[in-house]
Amino acid sequence: MERSAGSDAVRVRLLGLGNELLADDAFGIIVAREAAARFPSLDVVMTSESGLALLDYLNGVPSLLIVDTIQTGRREPGTLYAFDADRLCTAPAAAPHGAGLREALDLARALGLSAPTEVRILAVEAADCVTLGGRMHPAVEAAIPAALDWIEEQLVALATRSSQQPA
Amino acid sequence: MAEISTTRRITIDPITRLEGHGRIEIFLDEQGAVDRAYFQVPELRGFEKFAQGRPAEDMPQITSRICGVCPTAHHMASTKALDALYQVEPPPAAKKIRELIYTTFMVEDHALHFYFLGGPDFIVGPQAPAAERNVLGVIAKVGVETGQKVIAMRRKLRELIALAGGKAGHPVFGLPGGVARPLSEEDRQKFRSVAAEAVEFGLFSLEAFRKLVLADSHYVELIRSDAFTHRTYYMGLVDAENRLNFYDGVIRVVTPEGKPFASFTAAQYVDYIAERVEPWSYMKFCFLKPVGWKGFTDGADSGVYAVAPLARLNAAEKLATPLAQQAAVEYFATLGRPVHHTLANHWARLIELLYAAERMKELADDPGITDPNIRTVPTATPSEGVGVVEAPRGTLIHHYLTDSRGIIQKANMIVATQNNAARISLSVEKAARALVSGANVSEGLLNMVEMSFRAYDPCLGCATHSLPGSMPLWIEVRDTKGHRVALLRRDSDGTIRRE
Repeated sequence: MERSAGSDAVRVRLLGLGNELLADDAFGIIVAREAAARFPSLDVVMTSESGLALLDYLNGVPSLLIVDTIQTGRREPGTLYAFDADRLCTAPAAAPHGAGLREALDLARALGLSAPTEVRILAVEAADCVTLGGRMHPAVEAAIPAALDWIEEQLVALATRSSQQPA
Repeated sequence: MAEISTTRRITIDPITRLEGHGRIEIFLDEQGAVDRAYFQVPELRGFEKFAQGRPAEDMPQITSRICGVCPTAHHMASTKALDALYQVEPPPAAKKIRELIYTTFMVEDHALHFYFLGGPDFIVGPQAPAAERNVLGVIAKVGVETGQKVIAMRRKLRELIALAGGKAGHPVFGLPGGVARPLSEEDRQKFRSVAAEAVEFGLFSLEAFRKLVLADSHYVELIRSDAFTHRTYYMGLVDAENRLNFYDGVIRVVTPEGKPFASFTAAQYVDYIAERVEPWSYMKFCFLKPVGWKGFTDGADSGVYAVAPLARLNAAEKLATPLAQQAAVEYFATLGRPVHHTLANHWARLIELLYAAERMKELADDPGITDPNIRTVPTATPSEGVGVVEAPRGTLIHHYLTDSRGIIQKANMIVATQNNAARISLSVEKAARALVSGANVSEGLLNMVEMSFRAYDPCLGCATHSLPGSMPLWIEVRDTKGHRVALLRRDSDGTIRRE
């Protein structure tokens, strides 16, 4: 896990999930790293861990932005999907290592840990996440600027909303 | 996949996110009865090519990043391969530190598996509605307090791994011939204190298992049922006294009757483990070379073998720590020896958790572990090295061939799930035979199949942590012309639909 210097009063964290060794799976890490450079005070966490290990990175902030890959097989590689974590369903009897983000979030909430109330996810349709040392698909790589724009939009929206709230 | 002209094909795909990966294929004959069934475990591609040309000393860092679930196991197997490559024997304190970190990791991984991943089967129960068979159902059953206890235990264990091993998610402590830094007296005391808690936690978990599972005769019946039973060979690492060890020793194999079959060092693995590629799959199935490949079948004549908790307890003569040994005696008295019941993996996992906790305590109690002599600096010219550890999911082997500068020319890796792949296919086929007849696919198949492969804990997510698609599990029945004749699917919200 890598972590950039965050501000004292962290309200939002960006979590980049992925693995730079595995072709398109690098997406979440690269986007998070570029976001850390663009927004130096943003709390950015990057990890190649999966499953319930994610518990360590979810908690302690009210808002969480996540960048990851997805493979629905229904759209072209490079397609971006933005959605709330609540739309990720809890897998019934998840595959052993399949327990992921949603399960970690469910667990954190059920156990009264300081889980974020708002989790927004941006996922890119990936072509290949299993080839070690593989190159990113050009269309996935081309989606990086749009992903950074999405992060900026989310940060602006969150800031606007918090400034409108009574002190 | 090649066109299948004489058989019909059913596909169960538990992780649709990985096209062509981790799927279950069931082939029907012309009469609609199950011909054969297989479980295809996803496998990373390109490891050998990826490793070629890299300095061998980079491998412990790189391979620990391969898997998002068990980085410590890859880091350790790779570090041990470097010891062999450079022909160095780490000093005693370095070995102790490695094993201490490793057993800490095993406690953490086994605890998470039992409660949150295996929990839907044994804590919530196989008869429970699908919508409850998840982590929330587990918490509802064991209570928030126990859930918090598990999470608190996990946090403490991970803090220790980070303290002594660098980062919990990306350990960096292993070096050829030793470890990166000594253990301070202060850190040793921290390990001692958490280890004592871990032993209590192990006892608590076994007690929970007795109450939740063993007290219920239906569960015990299920564990012992023929559907989840295969008489195969078993493999695991043991010490010089044939006692279970996760970190070091020789690889021991016992027959389906529990008799010693082979004991060999990591370097000799090529004489004992062979890999077979099936034409319908890109993955490799391991089998015992001296026995030979006789197809997907069990028994003493078939080279199919198993690894992971159940196999490790069978392969070892005993456990090295008193409380775990006592628990193992109870386990074998209940189920016989060797244990052939796949679902007993969950029980065996808890016994191993207790062993790991006790071993952690033994190592932390030893003041010798703080000895500052933690490195034997390599001086020999490298050429070939093999390293082995017991990963939570079974025997893990790293094998590197290098030039005289230590640059990798050839690399091979046998991961736990590859060892288990043939036996997992046996389990899937048995479930399919019991429950599939032509287009009539029983809903029970979903549970049966899930329960059997969850007990092995195959590395489905090793390759990626892409978000899953919307359908975690589905069975598709197609006729010989490829037309769908039935579809049974379980959606992410737990509902089961037929189309």
